[in-house]
Amino acid sequence: MSGDALLRFADEVGAAGRPEAVPQAAELHLVTFALDREHYGIPVQRVREVIRVGEITRVPQAPEHVRGVTNLRGRILPVVELRSRLGLLPAVLTPRSRIVVTEAQGRVLGLLVDAVLQVTRIPADTVQPAPDDVMTPQADWLAGVARRPDRLLILLELDAVLQPQR
Amino acid sequence: MPGDNAFGELIDEYVVECLPLAERAADALVELERRRRAGTGGEELLGSIEGWLHTVKGNSAMMGLAAIQEAAHVLEDLCAALADQRGPTGEALLALMVEGGGLLVDQVRGAPTGAAPEGSAAWLSRARERAGADHAGNGRGADRRRGERRRGGAESDGANVVRVDFRRLDTLLEVLGEGLIEQAALVEAFRRVSRRTAAVPGMPDLDRAILALEKTMKRLEEIVMATRLLPISTVFGRFPRLLRGVAEGEGKRVRLLMAGGDTALDKAVLDRLGEPLLHLLTNAVVHGIESPAERRRAGKPEEGVLSLAAISRSGRVAIEVADDGRGLDEERIRARAAAMGIEPGAEGADPQGLIFQPGFSTAESVSGLAGRGVGLDVAAAAVRALGGTIAVRSQGGQGSAFLLDLPLTLAIVRSLIVEVDQERYAVPIAQVVATVRADPKALHQINHRGVAVWRGDLIQVTDGGELLGTGSDVEPPGERRGRRFYVVISSGGRRRGILVDRLIGHMDVVVKGLDPALGRPDVVSGTTILGDGRVACILDPVRILEQRVPA
Amino acid sequence: MSRAFLFVDDSPLHHQMYRLIFTRGPLAGNTLYHASNGREGYALLTQHPELTLVFLDLNMPEMNGLELLARRAVEGLHPHVPIVLVTTESAEEDEARARTAGAWDYLRKPFQPSDVERLVARALAQAPGTAA
Repeated sequence: MSGDALLRFADEVGAAGRPEAVPQAAELHLVTFALDREHYGIPVQRVREVIRVGEITRVPQAPEHVRGVTNLRGRILPVVELRSRLGLLPAVLTPRSRIVVTEAQGRVLGLLVDAVLQVTRIPADTVQPAPDDVMTPQADWLAGVARRPDRLLILLELDAVLQPQR
Repeated sequence: MPGDNAFGELIDEYVVECLPLAERAADALVELERRRRAGTGGEELLGSIEGWLHTVKGNSAMMGLAAIQEAAHVLEDLCAALADQRGPTGEALLALMVEGGGLLVDQVRGAPTGAAPEGSAAWLSRARERAGADHAGNGRGADRRRGERRRGGAESDGANVVRVDFRRLDTLLEVLGEGLIEQAALVEAFRRVSRRTAAVPGMPDLDRAILALEKTMKRLEEIVMATRLLPISTVFGRFPRLLRGVAEGEGKRVRLLMAGGDTALDKAVLDRLGEPLLHLLTNAVVHGIESPAERRRAGKPEEGVLSLAAISRSGRVAIEVADDGRGLDEERIRARAAAMGIEPGAEGADPQGLIFQPGFSTAESVSGLAGRGVGLDVAAAAVRALGGTIAVRSQGGQGSAFLLDLPLTLAIVRSLIVEVDQERYAVPIAQVVATVRADPKALHQINHRGVAVWRGDLIQVTDGGELLGTGSDVEPPGERRGRRFYVVISSGGRRRGILVDRLIGHMDVVVKGLDPALGRPDVVSGTTILGDGRVACILDPVRILEQRVPA
Repeated sequence: MSRAFLFVDDSPLHHQMYRLIFTRGPLAGNTLYHASNGREGYALLTQHPELTLVFLDLNMPEMNGLELLARRAVEGLHPHVPIVLVTTESAEEDEARARTAGAWDYLRKPFQPSDVERLVARALAQAPGTAA
């Protein structure tokens, strides 16, 4: 994301936090990002910021999907390997990789993604559940699928992603 | 009601002032009762007790807390009555007063919410009756004593005391921590620059300035840490009264001796120390000290002795909880271990280690208190969570002693920074005994485990990469990637060497807790941020040494 | 016009109470001095002859209220500064004892802000050469 786009993005995320920016009931306000070739979305209200990937320090015996921790302005931020959490191979870091800093029940966690795309609103009626055999029990993170004009957007159940799983 | 009282908003200050006074009075009443029973007088305590009660009474009156005011007033009257009483009536009266003391403490504690402890109204009517009966003979004696009364000197200069929410001190420490990190970054940047630049005008000045900054930050650190220190007596003080109830319930006679009350600890450690200590003390009363009859048969005085002592030593605090009871019954412990399926001779299967395992209790009867074996393992876990160790020494028939070793503070840890497989780790200096150059010829293998001769002893040596999950387990230890040093860590009598690639230096690191998302690693106790902004894990030598090392 | 007041009491809570009284309502805006025992109180009294009124607790360590009054009488220190003895004792002999010792008046605990205000008003009215 270029410098300008990042600033615009920051404005958008910031705007989402203000009371008057609450989206209407019929819309979902999402941050979208890419893992491999698929696009995913999470609610913008849960995103605190997006940061570049600095040094991620490994923590011995950390749970399976925690890649490590990083320094976020003096605060220790655990970084979740979102790819492995979703059943993909771990990320290879590129200049486009980012950490999406999210909030869940007062805890702050970072999600490692291949690239952050945009902040967008989609009509709620474009969301449908994934087909039955796609929704396996392990896929507790799958909240649904949104059909966009040009592609499919996979919606994540953020609390499930961030909870330690079975 | 505090609400409509002119001083209502000072309710917290009221509690801060009067709760210690009420506790002191209640504790002193317990002590007085003990001394009377032992025949060693105790009347000299009455003056102080009356003084404390008098202050609580006055303050409660000012705050419009009528019930507390009355309770304190009646207790004061009973003190006066007690002075003239001997024998069984005196005993009953004293028991009534001890009860009232405990209730008064609860009343003061509950003042902000208006919570009245159960039984306080009933106690008050009984006490009033008793006080009324004695009032006739009382008269001027009480006043005379009051006139002579010196209130125990205020331990703090009341007029110059400021009340600060402890969370502000936490914030202060956090910001100090950031300062320390930034200072480290500055020092590192300066080092990098000075390595490349030869003599440049201004360098010596910069060097001096940085040195001065380091000195000031060190002083600041000491001052900030000192604001968080409280004497351990704040935790000790509750014990006599609490244990009295336990001892009575168990039909035991126990005397509690305490020493080192002015040993100071960080409040964060203190807050979490009370419960484990109480567990250990309760356990000693319930399981350690024998009944008076049994003690007589064993030729011991009927009254058992519990001692609690604290002493600070080079950045740590040692606390001993000892009793002169029956000591650990090693036979029964071994039998119980066998029944639980624990093999004898397994590491950590010595009786001293076993009693700290969950579910371990050799008590036949399961009393409501410590009888379930819950106390000891919970206490041990709490001590370890504080970064401390616990061990026990026992002599059959003569008694046991629990030894706790705790850090003074949780917040900043002086550490040795090491590097293993390009990751850096902080090792708390308190558990580092030595750093040794790893000579491959001096490292051996026994039973698939690395071993070295160090200062005449044979110690186990573990590869750092293997311990921390960054190494492969293919090559024998020591030859793996040419680890150049090993760090000898020590805790609880055990020692081990950890092979590392580099020794980086010493640093006071600010401990940042382990986020719950990181699970509960066995080898790491926290994280910190080093001078270059990178996060480093802080190793937990205590836990590392407690584990068995896999082949 | 800003007046000066001295509070001598070993109870931090009481100092807070005095501060509360002297920062709200009619008594706001004056200079306040605090001492936590008689010895400190005597020292502050010595340094401030301009005091309008002193509130002196009876029961304190290191020189109680009566001792302070006695010492002042013996040394003749600032006899024009009125001192109020504050105590919980309520018998008449106590009151008489206080006055003989040299207290200007006597304040019984528990007291209300209004009791303090009344005492201050009287002290001001009596002080030589004071305007309103």
